Amino acid sequence: MTDHAKTEPDGRHSRRITIDPITRLEGHGKIDIFLDERGDVERAYFQVPELRGFERFAQGRLAEDMPQITSRICGVCPTAHHMASTKALDDLYKVEAPPAAKKIRELVYSTFMAEDHALHFYFLGGPDFVVGPSAPAAERNVLGVIAKVGVEVGTKVIAMRRRLRELITLVGGKVIHPVLGLPGGVAKPIRAEDQARFQEVAGDAVEFAKFTLQIFEDVVLKNADYVNLIVSDTFTHRTHYMGLVDAGNRVNFYDGLVRVVSPEGREVAKFAAPQYLDYVAEHVEPWSYVKFCYLKPVGWKGFVDGAESGIYSVAPLARLNAADGMATPLAQQAYERFYETLGGKPVHHTLGNHWARVVELLYAAERMKELADDPGLTDPNVRTLPTEKPREGVGIVEAPRGTLIHHYQTDERGVIEKANLIVATQGNAARIAMSVEKAAKGLISGKEVSEGLLNMVEMAFRAYDPCHGCATHSLPGSMPLLIRIRDREGNTSGVLRRDSDGSVHRD
Amino acid sequence: MASSGGTRTEASTVTDPAWPNAAGLSAPAGGPVPIRVLCLGNDLLADDAFGCLAAEHLRRRVPGAVDVVFSTDGGFSLMDHLEGVKLLVVIDVVMTGKADPGAVSVFRGEDLRSAPGGSPHYVGLFESLALGRMLGLPMPEEVVFVVVEAADCLTIGGAMHPAVRSALPAVTERVEEIVGR
Repeated sequence: MTDHAKTEPDGRHSRRITIDPITRLEGHGKIDIFLDERGDVERAYFQVPELRGFERFAQGRLAEDMPQITSRICGVCPTAHHMASTKALDDLYKVEAPPAAKKIRELVYSTFMAEDHALHFYFLGGPDFVVGPSAPAAERNVLGVIAKVGVEVGTKVIAMRRRLRELITLVGGKVIHPVLGLPGGVAKPIRAEDQARFQEVAGDAVEFAKFTLQIFEDVVLKNADYVNLIVSDTFTHRTHYMGLVDAGNRVNFYDGLVRVVSPEGREVAKFAAPQYLDYVAEHVEPWSYVKFCYLKPVGWKGFVDGAESGIYSVAPLARLNAADGMATPLAQQAYERFYETLGGKPVHHTLGNHWARVVELLYAAERMKELADDPGLTDPNVRTLPTEKPREGVGIVEAPRGTLIHHYQTDERGVIEKANLIVATQGNAARIAMSVEKAAKGLISGKEVSEGLLNMVEMAFRAYDPCHGCATHSLPGSMPLLIRIRDREGNTSGVLRRDSDGSVHRD
Repeated sequence: MASSGGTRTEASTVTDPAWPNAAGLSAPAGGPVPIRVLCLGNDLLADDAFGCLAAEHLRRRVPGAVDVVFSTDGGFSLMDHLEGVKLLVVIDVVMTGKADPGAVSVFRGEDLRSAPGGSPHYVGLFESLALGRMLGLPMPEEVVFVVVEAADCLTIGGAMHPAVRSALPAVTERVEEIVGR
């Protein structure tokens, strides 16, 4: 209806703007923006609904069921939970998987990462960059992306995704309910004919990733406005960065040590999964039920960036920053170009996540190819039987959205007494809160809130691709927003509603 | 698309209530399905388990030619359930906050603003439908939603609200009316 809506001219009260989705809505992010007396942003809060009750739910269950159970919690990244949980079981039973089992796990995991990153880049991030942040709302969606890149590219993405998923199903049993991982290995070896299929698809996936990187170059990097937006101060935070690295400090999604670098890019921590509690702590705020992760040795200093603040971030940009490079040749080239273009390491520009995701897509595809070509992949020895009594285990993988930690404590029979999950979005929660506030401060002032400004605020958190709990199959499917402007007494002085068709109404 | 051979044998229908199938690779392998009832939800998340409950129940009630699927899928994965279907009936819970838990509503695709655009960052059924049509994939000719107002979809292992559970007969009746025409 209208592109803009003014808040009530009310200079005497602090007001609260709530950007709140309204249909199955709990599942989505919610933003509260508090305005001061002049109508400028005082504070802004981003809330991600968090699933409740996991710890209680896990108590009394067999630890060995957790890879199946935890993968069912979330329809978005079941494979990540499955793999983190399987690795936690390795640690719980102090058993090491045979080489072929590790290769199979990493192969399936790389396939999953490639699928997830491809979908995110084209269909979720695409509206911001491929279509553009200032395009009309009606075009800022997946159809707008396809209109811009062409139907054949869309068909290519869908076909690639389907083939990658078929591979996961081939080995994992089911995509949403994988039955691949067991403590000490995997459920079944890979047959020669399966290996051949992986080789074929992996080769195509590498080509697909190269093609995607080219699209990024053509559409984003050749557009000065986009590059300026990426490096703009509004979307920049100097925090610590965390990610798994291999023995050569290169990005690894499946295994390795967790490395943390300072805002200057200096290594400040490197630890194995079981030590995570020495490094990661959780901060609680009265206004949110999300636990904000921070670096324990540095401490919680509030929502501020810099080396003195324990706030860190995870996800593609953080992984690239926390590593010294990529383990595959083409991804390494893309990595170098990324840092050359954006002014050296580390890159602090949140929107760099979209580019970093494409670099990782290329790595995932190349890594798939390496593992698919490995003659040891079809070794029938894929299980080391556990003999130790269980007590405690921690497993860490890099989920598409960042470092994912599963931690179980059990009795001698392997029945869970205590369980803890730290999901990627928690690792980013503090930085996301800062991003949203900074974007809101830079974009909203003088009592006027426009839809375009809200888009920019949303962009600030979309780059992290925060996980929205149960909202995996939202209905009607689009995300209507409700913005309430309130005074200190809680009286609503104005409502701005954005419907699922993108139209904006003022009630 | 190459066929994936024997790996898709358990693809499209719920065969084991304890492990509802959600493999997400249903339609193309088995050829066109005239009518599919797609039950969405998550059996671990309180009221969100309604879709699973409905799928188990409906499988015994609707004619054999009607394909009943339970899925925890979201986003573009839903497209796997849309291809090659003529009439799609979607069962899900919603939280509008405007009705009591357990309230059942039926609406059709054309009742909704089907143009995506509300949020560039979230992609669901409508986006999957629109994308599928744009790419020339065989999308349903008709989509009908039967939805139940939920109270809680965030508690892992949470119990289903009694009012949501007792919406099952009403939902079944509506689905039978729709598929029985």
